[in-house]
This record gives sequence, structure tokens and C-alpha cells, in this order.
Amino acid sequence: MECFSLLRSDVPAFIDHLGGFGEVVAPHSKGEVSYTFEVVKDSSQVILDYNRTLLPLKKMFLPPVETMLNFSLKDASFTPVEIEISPRLFFGVHSYEMQSILRLDHSMLSGKVESNYFRRRQSSRFVGISFHPDEFHFSESVGITIEEMEGFDLFLNEIEGDFQVYVLSKNGAALLKGFEYIESTNPEVIEGRSFKKKIRYHYNRLPRVFQYAYNSPIWAEVASRCVGCGACTLTCPTCFCFDVNDEVTVTAEDGMRQRSWDSCMLAAFAEVAGGENFREKTSNRTRHRLFRKFKYITDEEGLPWCVGCGRCTAFCPAGISLPDIVNELIGEDEKAQLPRSVRV
Amino acid sequence: MKPKVAFFDFTSCEGCQLNKLNLENDLLDILKHVDIVEFREAMDDKADHYDIAFIEGSISSPSCVERIHDIRRRSSFLVALGACAVSGGVNAMKNLHPIDQVRETVYGDDKYLFATLPAMAVSAVVKVDYEVRGCPMTQQDFLKLLIALVLGKQPQKYNSPVCVECKLKENECLYNRGMVCLGPITRGGCDAICPSFGQFCTGCRGILDNPNLSGMLDLMTNHGISLDEAKKRMLLFNANEVQL
Amino acid sequence: MKRLQDVESHEAVDLYFPTMCKVTGAKQITDMEKWYELEMPNGQSLGHSPGQFVEVSAFGIGEAPISVSSSPSKHSSFELCIRQVGMLTNVLKKYKQGDVLGIRGPFGKGYPMEKLFGKDILVVAGGIGLVPLRSLINYVLDNRKDFGRLIILYGAKTPSELLFQEELAEWTSRDDVELHITVDRGDASWKGHVGVITTLIPTLDLQTSTTIAAITGPPVMYKFVVMSLKSKQLPDDQIYLSLERRMKCGVGKCGHCQINGVYCCQDGPVFNYSDIKPLAEAL
Repeated sequence: MECFSLLRSDVPAFIDHLGGFGEVVAPHSKGEVSYTFEVVKDSSQVILDYNRTLLPLKKMFLPPVETMLNFSLKDASFTPVEIEISPRLFFGVHSYEMQSILRLDHSMLSGKVESNYFRRRQSSRFVGISFHPDEFHFSESVGITIEEMEGFDLFLNEIEGDFQVYVLSKNGAALLKGFEYIESTNPEVIEGRSFKKKIRYHYNRLPRVFQYAYNSPIWAEVASRCVGCGACTLTCPTCFCFDVNDEVTVTAEDGMRQRSWDSCMLAAFAEVAGGENFREKTSNRTRHRLFRKFKYITDEEGLPWCVGCGRCTAFCPAGISLPDIVNELIGEDEKAQLPRSVRV
Repeated sequence: MKPKVAFFDFTSCEGCQLNKLNLENDLLDILKHVDIVEFREAMDDKADHYDIAFIEGSISSPSCVERIHDIRRRSSFLVALGACAVSGGVNAMKNLHPIDQVRETVYGDDKYLFATLPAMAVSAVVKVDYEVRGCPMTQQDFLKLLIALVLGKQPQKYNSPVCVECKLKENECLYNRGMVCLGPITRGGCDAICPSFGQFCTGCRGILDNPNLSGMLDLMTNHGISLDEAKKRMLLFNANEVQL
Repeated sequence: MKRLQDVESHEAVDLYFPTMCKVTGAKQITDMEKWYELEMPNGQSLGHSPGQFVEVSAFGIGEAPISVSSSPSKHSSFELCIRQVGMLTNVLKKYKQGDVLGIRGPFGKGYPMEKLFGKDILVVAGGIGLVPLRSLINYVLDNRKDFGRLIILYGAKTPSELLFQEELAEWTSRDDVELHITVDRGDASWKGHVGVITTLIPTLDLQTSTTIAAITGPPVMYKFVVMSLKSKQLPDDQIYLSLERRMKCGVGKCGHCQINGVYCCQDGPVFNYSDIKPLAEAL
């Protein structure tokens, strides 16, 4: 693997150089204490040390609100909204975020290929960056280390404030071409970056735990604290549910069909036209959310569909922690294996 | 023939009606679809029958009750406009106190001159077909309902929290700024306009169906306000809707 | 895991654009249900199999999943029958001959006809469950020699809610169809059977080894019908059910129709009972 050293002070110049490929999207500050992925206008505004963005990078491939077609009510006709394919480069992406895109690829491209996603996803490049886990990150517990480089073209590993740039693909090598402020070096092993938050079991033991967790009393306990705002699923990088609505303009002559992110945590998610609701209780919906992350797709693909970014936990106003729920299920599962006489 | 539309106000600040008058850009388009036949704030005409009657304000006196029955009898569809009409709104806070005490505070020695009732939603007195929520109702929401009625479709009912629209706009959560916001249990459809401008949600569009109120009170107190304060916040717009 | 590079760009066809179809016939057949006949543009055939559904789309209102009610053997047009229960379906009742409706689909898995050939077909339809099953029934009738007995159990709340009354009369008159109709509540002129649909099952004379059951009805019905059929010793894998969920996109993406880990719009709406028996959210 080719490796170069890059000074922190040269990173803005590096981002400007990458702009030669296409539009660059990178983390920026937002609000008082938050971050967001935005198109770079001024490379000095890009944030290199961030915990997590409010919305995942998914928003660049599946926008929160997207117009699918414009229609005319007069003659019941429509015009499709064309999606432009343009080269985009995503800079400063954490390993778990990259893994979430690879999982989304699977979800969107399996079965019928989601054409809008496919078009936006094509001709994209990814430049990763290492991070310092905070109290919410737990990606190591789902098999994703800080330096997991799958999916990236380049990866910036922080070493004592500056960076080592790993070249991970031909595309990555092409991106570096013509950039002068880098020097060839040997990759170093970095120690001391560790995760504070952990799931107690290795992820390959979780399918078994979930196999027996369906009727656990833990779902109702979590539901008693959950107020059903949907933040966990709306900020989840591997969630992709959406709803479709027609909006008509004031002239009542034309309008557009839009889709927007939806959440299986919302009460009306599984309700049908006749009024029947197939997941009426919050506890059922909480369970469905967790099973979507650790059981249903996991059974088929052998990987947790949670990447440990910690958003659902960090952004839950009620303070409900996903790793805590999983650890409680593990505890319950262990207890169930003890002889009846010693269970407390 | 265009549907005949009328606007009436009851106990309210008339802010919702003013909001409609501010629709300059869309006003001409609206008038293509409907004839406005009665609108005290904007015109003097009167009519005997209305296809759609829009009602603003809560019902809070015996004369209000009489008048709303009269309007209902002359209207094919009746729409409650804004928090006061939909649920009683802030007016309903008075229902939390003994009515005699309220009358004395407001009218002093003249209290016997003014008959008063608890502030009620319009739907507590007559059949309400549709509602536009919010304090004030948003112009967008009003237009959506009007267009839906013109097209003959059921207007959309919101039962998703404000948080949904807030998250989709990638706003920083106000809880992360040390505020206590009612977004998680408040009916959305407002495009999260308050949180988007840094103002916490006060619940003006009403509480969701089947809310987890005890969970919400815990959540609010965990963010540093007293239980008493948390309840007061919840009741501000929803004294008629929640029992605490 | 499926990778981006596994996908050829020609596979990325647009999933969400409707095909505009002309309404060639429309008739209100009960107080709540309206029947429509539609034609695809340029004489195309819809190409569905019995049990599949389409997303019906009216601009300005939205889309709803609707079962195809006609047999695939009818090529030139297809039929829908829509109960007016939601926002879209209430607007659709205004549609008449000559209007244009958007259609996406057909979607989902219908009845695996290859497994049904040569078998006795037991159709159990509750209420509007007859709509998708009519596609199966008419397919069997159009290819009558390929199947054994055709037994139809059909239950409605009241006699006035019975759908496709002309066809019911025709099926009654045929000697290669065994039709049993029941209503929950009769009226003055009703002389037929009264009672829930399961009351028709105990007296049936079934050859369990060669019978395939196809059940569609309101959610509450399935458990009881399956129980009755089980007491007739019908094996699980000879029972098919068509489930209703909120199939919003029809292509396995939007997530609304999930039954545990299974997408109703992809793996269903017609399921083999042995496949969904382990799913807690199914019945």
C-alpha cells in the first residue's frame, strides 16, 4: 500500500486540489455543537475533527425530500425529474459512515435496483479520515475499526496532529496526481484510540441473542421511555424507509410527487387504508427497529446492519441507548440459560 | 360554480385571519377557486349559505354557542382554523382554574355582567369536518386544505411529530442547546418552523394521538426543568387535550 | 453483500414512473366497491399472474396498492375492483370511462400456478378478498382441463355486499364449480347460508392430498380459516394466503409493508402458509 505524509496545514490545499475531480462534500460546523456534510465552498471551513454529523452521508444519495416527478392535473400527464450524474468526492468520511454506504448499496441495489440511488452513487469517490471515538461511538462492537478502509479511495490517518494518506485504489492514486505537498513514507501503526462504549458480545453472537429476544419484556420497558419522535431512525445511516406524497400547487393545476424519509418508529407507519395498524404499540416498533439492525438482514448477509455511529443514541432526547438495549438483551439471554433455581 | 366560502371569528386574537390576508402572492389564485362571501376582517358582504365556513377562535360564551350553531346550519363544510378553534388553544388555560375565580380576575366587580363558559374547541359544540392546526395556522397548511377541498380529496391529517420535519431539515436538536422542546410529542406539518429559527416548540399544533405523556414528562425533567414547569409547558396550548 | 460494481447501468430502470392507462369501463357494483377495466397503451398486456397487484396512481392524490381482479388469460385489458376506504380510493370513485389512470406494476408474487396444475383448488374469499381470487378463479375456468375440482367459499357481511353477482350466478350454474356463499347477516330475501365463512368448512368433502387452498380476506379471518383447514388435515404447504399491508412503493424499498424480515410487496402478497407460519407479525 502506498503511503504519503500530509501536514494538517496543507489539508485545505489538498481539498482544493481534490476539487479538480468534481464537487467536494465534507464535514462543516452546524449550530452550536453539531456537524453536517456540505458542499465545500471554502476549504478552510472544513472540519477535520468531528464526532458525527447530524444526518448521515446517506442524504447525498437518498435526499431527505426528493421530487420524483412533476404532474399536470389538466391532462393527467407527468414529466420525470432527471437526475444529473456528476462526479462527487466525499472528504473526511469516518469508517462507520463508509460502511453504512456499502450496506445501503446492498439494500438499494438488491432486488429491484433503486435507479435514483444508483445514479447518484455512481462516479463518487471517498476520502476517509480517522476519528477519536466519543462516549456514543461503538462501531468496533459491530466489527468496524477506526482504520477500516473498505470502500475508500484514500484514507487520512491522523498521526500526532498530521496525517498519513493511504492510497487504496487506482482512483485514489489518480486523485493524488499533481498534488505536491505530500511525501512518500511508511505506514505507522497507531495505538491508543479506543472505544469507550461497547456491546458486551462479539457481533457474531448477537443473532443468537436476538433469536430469543422477540418476546422480551425489555421492549416494553424501552417503550415506556420512548416518546416516539423518530429521531433514532431518521438519523440512522442504514435506515432507508420513505413515504410518498403528492403536493398540488395553489393553482390546483399542477404539482409534484415527492418522497421523504419516513420512520418505522412513527405510529402510523404500518397502518393501511382500512385503519388496521400492524405495529400499533411503541414496543412493537422499538423491537422492529432493533431487529432491522441485528436480525432480519443480518441473518441473510452475516453482518450487523448497525454501524455503531451512535447517532440514534446521541440524538435521542429521551436518552435511550442502543448498545444499552443490546447489552440488556444479552444479560437477559445469559440469565435465561441459568438453572431456574439461581435466576434472580 | 365556485364554492362560497366564509370566515368567522370567535374567541381569538384574529391572527389566523390576518395570516390569510397576508397571502398576497397566492390570493388571486385562491379567488379563481372560491368566492369569499363573508369575511368581517376584510369585507362587509353577507350570505345565507356557505359551502365552506372557516371558524377561528374558541367557543367561550353562551352567545358563541348560539352563533356557531347558526353558522353550522348554514354551512356544508365547517373547518376549524387555528389552535383556538381546533382545541381551545391558549384560551383553554382558563379551564384549569375555577370559573368564578377567572371571571373575577378578568372583570372584577362587573363579573356578573358577562356570561362565560369554559373555552371549548368548536368540535365540542358542533360537527367539525376538517381542521387546520397551529397558532397561528400556517398559510401553507391553509392553502393545502383549500386545494384539497377544491380537488375533492380528503385533506391530509398529520400524526407525525415536529421532530420528523426538524430532522429532515438537519436542524441541530434544541435539547443539544440546553432547551426543552415539545417537538417530540407535538403534531407536525409546520415544517418545524420554530425550531428551525432556534425557538423551542410550544405545542401549538396539539399533541399526537396516543402520546407517551409520562415518558415526555420524564424527558423534560431530565433536561433540567421541574415537573411543575414541564406540565405547564405541556398545557400551554393543550389544556383541553391532555390530562396531567 | 451486493456491491455497486455488481450492478449494470441497464438494470437501473425507473421504478416510480407510472404507465398511463385508459379506463375503458367503470361500474359501481356495491355501495362501497367500484369495478374498472383498463387498457395499457399501445395494446400491451399487463402480463400479471393471479394474486399480483398494481400501484394505482392518481396525480395530486397519491398511490395505493390494488389487486388485479381479471385473469391473465384476458390480454387486451385488465380489471380492478376498488373499495372506497382511503383518500385515494375515495377519489377514484369519480373516475369513469375515458379517464386516464396511472399504473405501476404488476408487483409481488402471485400464485405459483405451476404448483396448482392438476390440483383441486379450494378458494376461500372473505369480503373484498374475492377481488384478487377472482383472477385465480377465472384463470382456472379459462384453463378448466388443467385443474381438478374448483371449490369456492365466499363470505360477505350482508347480501348487498356480495361482489360480482352476475359471475356468482354463472358459477352457480356451472357443474364444474362448487360455489358456497355465506353472509354474516341475511336480509328478508336471503335464502342462503348465514354464518361466518369458517362454518362452511367442516362439511366440505376434501381430498387433502390433492387440494390447494387459496385464502384472502380481512386480517381477522386468516387464523380461523387456517385452523379449520388444519382440522381437515390439510398440510401447511398446501395453503396459500394473500396478505394486505401498506405496500407504498411496491418494489421492496420504502419499508412500510414489512412483516418481520419479509417484504409483503416482494415475497408476497401471496404467501405459502408454511413460509409465514414462523413470522409473528404475519397473522
